[in-house]
Amino acid sequence: MSLQRFILKRTLSIIPIMFGVSVITFGMFHLTPGDPVTQLVALNPDVSAAEEAALRERWGLSGPVWEQYLDWISNVLVGDFGLELQTGREVSDIVWSRLPETIALGLFGWAFALVIAIPAGIYAAINKDNLGDTISRFLALSGISIPNFWLGLMLILIFSLYLGLFPVLAPSRQSLLSPEMLWYLILPGITIGTASAASIMRVMRTSMTEELNKEYVTAARAKGLPERTVILKHVLRNSLISVVTLAATLTASIVAGSVVVEVVFNWPGLGREFIDAINQREINVVMAITLFTGFFVILANLVADIVYAALDPRIRYD
Amino acid sequence: MPSRHNSSDSNRQINRRNVIATIGAAGAASLAGCGGQSGGDGSDGGDGGDGGDGGNLFPLDVQLEVNADNSDRLQMVELIAESMEQTGYFNTTVETYEWNTYVGRVLDPEYQNNGFIPCIGLSGTFNPGSFSNALHHSTNIGACCNLNGISDPEIDELMDSARYGVDVAEDADLRAERYDEVWNYLAEERYSSITHFNLATSVSNTDLHGFEMWPFQDGMYSYNMFAPQDEQIMWVDRDNAAGDSELSDLSEGGTLSLAFGANIESFDPPHSSDTTSTLAQNFLFESLTDNDAQGNVYPWLAESYELLNTSSIERIAYADYMSTVGTTEEGAIDTDEQVVMQHPEDSPAEDDEVRVLLPDDATAAAEDGTFGMQYRYNLQEGVEFHNGDELTADDVVATYEYVENSVLAPQTFDSLLTAVKVDEYTVDLYAQVPDAEAERELPGLLILNASQIEAVEKGNIDPREGNLPVGTGPYEFAEFEDAQYYEVTKFDNYWTEQKGVSEAFSWFDGSDEFPDGPVIDGFEVEIVPDNSTRSGALQNGEIDSTYGLNTSTLDDFKSSEEFLVYGVETGGYEYIQYPVNVAPFDDARLRQAINHLIPRERIVENVFSGYGRPAWTPIPQLAQGSGTADADALEEELKPMNEYNVERAEELLEQVAADN
Repeated sequence: MSLQRFILKRTLSIIPIMFGVSVITFGMFHLTPGDPVTQLVALNPDVSAAEEAALRERWGLSGPVWEQYLDWISNVLVGDFGLELQTGREVSDIVWSRLPETIALGLFGWAFALVIAIPAGIYAAINKDNLGDTISRFLALSGISIPNFWLGLMLILIFSLYLGLFPVLAPSRQSLLSPEMLWYLILPGITIGTASAASIMRVMRTSMTEELNKEYVTAARAKGLPERTVILKHVLRNSLISVVTLAATLTASIVAGSVVVEVVFNWPGLGREFIDAINQREINVVMAITLFTGFFVILANLVADIVYAALDPRIRYD
Repeated sequence: MPSRHNSSDSNRQINRRNVIATIGAAGAASLAGCGGQSGGDGSDGGDGGDGGDGGNLFPLDVQLEVNADNSDRLQMVELIAESMEQTGYFNTTVETYEWNTYVGRVLDPEYQNNGFIPCIGLSGTFNPGSFSNALHHSTNIGACCNLNGISDPEIDELMDSARYGVDVAEDADLRAERYDEVWNYLAEERYSSITHFNLATSVSNTDLHGFEMWPFQDGMYSYNMFAPQDEQIMWVDRDNAAGDSELSDLSEGGTLSLAFGANIESFDPPHSSDTTSTLAQNFLFESLTDNDAQGNVYPWLAESYELLNTSSIERIAYADYMSTVGTTEEGAIDTDEQVVMQHPEDSPAEDDEVRVLLPDDATAAAEDGTFGMQYRYNLQEGVEFHNGDELTADDVVATYEYVENSVLAPQTFDSLLTAVKVDEYTVDLYAQVPDAEAERELPGLLILNASQIEAVEKGNIDPREGNLPVGTGPYEFAEFEDAQYYEVTKFDNYWTEQKGVSEAFSWFDGSDEFPDGPVIDGFEVEIVPDNSTRSGALQNGEIDSTYGLNTSTLDDFKSSEEFLVYGVETGGYEYIQYPVNVAPFDDARLRQAINHLIPRERIVENVFSGYGRPAWTPIPQLAQGSGTADADALEEELKPMNEYNVERAEELLEQVAADN
């Protein structure tokens, strides 16, 4: 199978997966009890049963579930995610307006993870089993174990409240790329990237250790190549294969982590909107963000597969 | 679906005993000196054999139900359950449910047959009926929030006669007396037990002067910026610390930064009912009348108002004016127009056609002289909107029409019949039936600008849609970034400043020093949903004032010299309701006994860290203005019936046992 055919095949496989995601997404929100009408009507003595039924009808929440699904999915396919029920705003507008914020935060966290993890992994592998390695492994384990909402609160407590280095609230009225914003992004970026950094560092260390034991390394050294060239030119390149795929799949955890981190740091992205929407029972918004996130994660996995295949030709013939 | 934690009975009991042990220890100190309380000795007293003597009825299995996501409420119910259990007369179980499941469950009309005791929280208003009707009126069975099917014609009649009818509409004293009858009747019958009233809190740094809590969160900043009815005004002074600021210290100018706890969902007043949206809108818009902290009504955009006519009619009298419309399969009325009123005898769920009063029918009826009440509002002249238009009767009528089919429609058309323009500066508002709440409820809408209403699609007054909100309020819209921040700046042509406060309000009899309008130049509002983040921003000096912080952090702010914590009793309350239609709960003595076992003081002190008030009467301070003839007398009368009293409870339970 050629690379092109492999890419085509993997890309087409998105269709049934996305269909599954849409069914699960829709099912989750329609099989759980309570809809926005219940929420609106529940504790309001002034709404009569007839008014409640009228609301359901107007918001497309009456009729059998499969019919509601077909209505919904046929609109989604043409990019119409419906309206936010209580305010009547376009859901797609909401998602698009929040997306840049989440992408900025995610990219920052991801970049932080890579910048920290790769050198740390290399260092740990080269200095295997000595003190530096032990410390970095301990930090990696902590990084994976610490829940990010707690880490976020601790960073705020220490760096904002005690040391006064960062504001607690994101500077408003600033463009996303202004220096103030980038300075502010540091704490949430660290929070969101820490767990990923820890995983990447561990994989980097393992694969690097493995590569270092291979014969070509011994051969390169025997040839009299400087150690620096051996590591950076030969070993690093080969050990990066697994890191690249991991880094791509980790975008999923970064996206998921953004929900909590955005709430703690008051970052106006998709994650915070998601929480707001859940609390308001705004199903259209929740479904749109879920679907969008699902799509994004599937896409990231696809990219990982393709990059992996491109880096390691053997994978295509599996 | 019941939550998983009911799977092991023994575990839960141990947990509950732990809760009570911890709380009991803490509670002992705070309760010392409270006469009649035997908080501490319940733990080993009352237990034991005497429960078993009464034959087969006791110990009685009782299931209390609560939503799991509210840990305070759950803890409160656990306390009540434990308190019941310790008498030896009850075997209690506490079931928890996810919120939406729970609401669906308790609002099901069949729920009353289960024999469970549900607990839920509601928020009341200045209307005293909001503390009795939702819980007890038979029309609210299967709706909010007569959960256990209380259907007592006598209490229905009492509550109706306190609100509806020419006599109470015209005589506030009579109305207060009627409500006193309601409270006394309910105390005897004891269908529900209100446990406590919530306290709303806000925290500010000492740069903010002259701040007082308003009993409803959605008005807390608008009330404080300028409320001549209570001579209430706040100002910013960053050089002197607030504490006992006097009006003479007042300084003008400055910008106040606030943090709201949620995004502003809508700037379109009748198309939103959430607290934060109203909080934001209240800077920009005003109503025909305003309230003081006791709920008394003061003319505002209306220079004056009067009740012109009252006629003793019931809703059936509108039958001749009604239109006939179809219904849908789901039981909805099939019309795009606002249903002002349904024919009392028709049911959209069962009939193919129903008779309803549509807006045009309502106006026709009013013009024919068919109405319950006619209030006439004489508008202030020379009130300018932010877009330069002058306020006229057309704006008021357009506003009332704009409410049709909005989120606020159900509560508006609960009492409103129609709004009719009389002349350029005069509007009549009609009530459907003689209604003592009409004076407060009819003029309650925020007045919008007629030309804006004409220009925008319904519900789209929103900067996100490119339509900046236009009101008559003291601040005008400046900037809004969705989910991030919101800014308002002082409106230069604000009408009370043009006229002067004593000219604008003929009722104003306050100090000469009281300013003619708000003195703060502008508000910058950050939108910060997370409580801890809001609290951090306040500590870090990034905002001046916020609200709704976790009670655990309030103590830190309280002990700090740089911050002031404000609290006020609100209309929010929680209650449990007895399954009166299931034996043995049909016996009022059993319900009274359980009521005596509710440790109200401990609940407030320990579950809510003191941020609440035990419900010795069923109405909080804010509803006492029209809800009782004498609040102190009422409390004196009812408090003994609501106090924690194990001996009295056991006496009652013995009587119940003896009769079974």
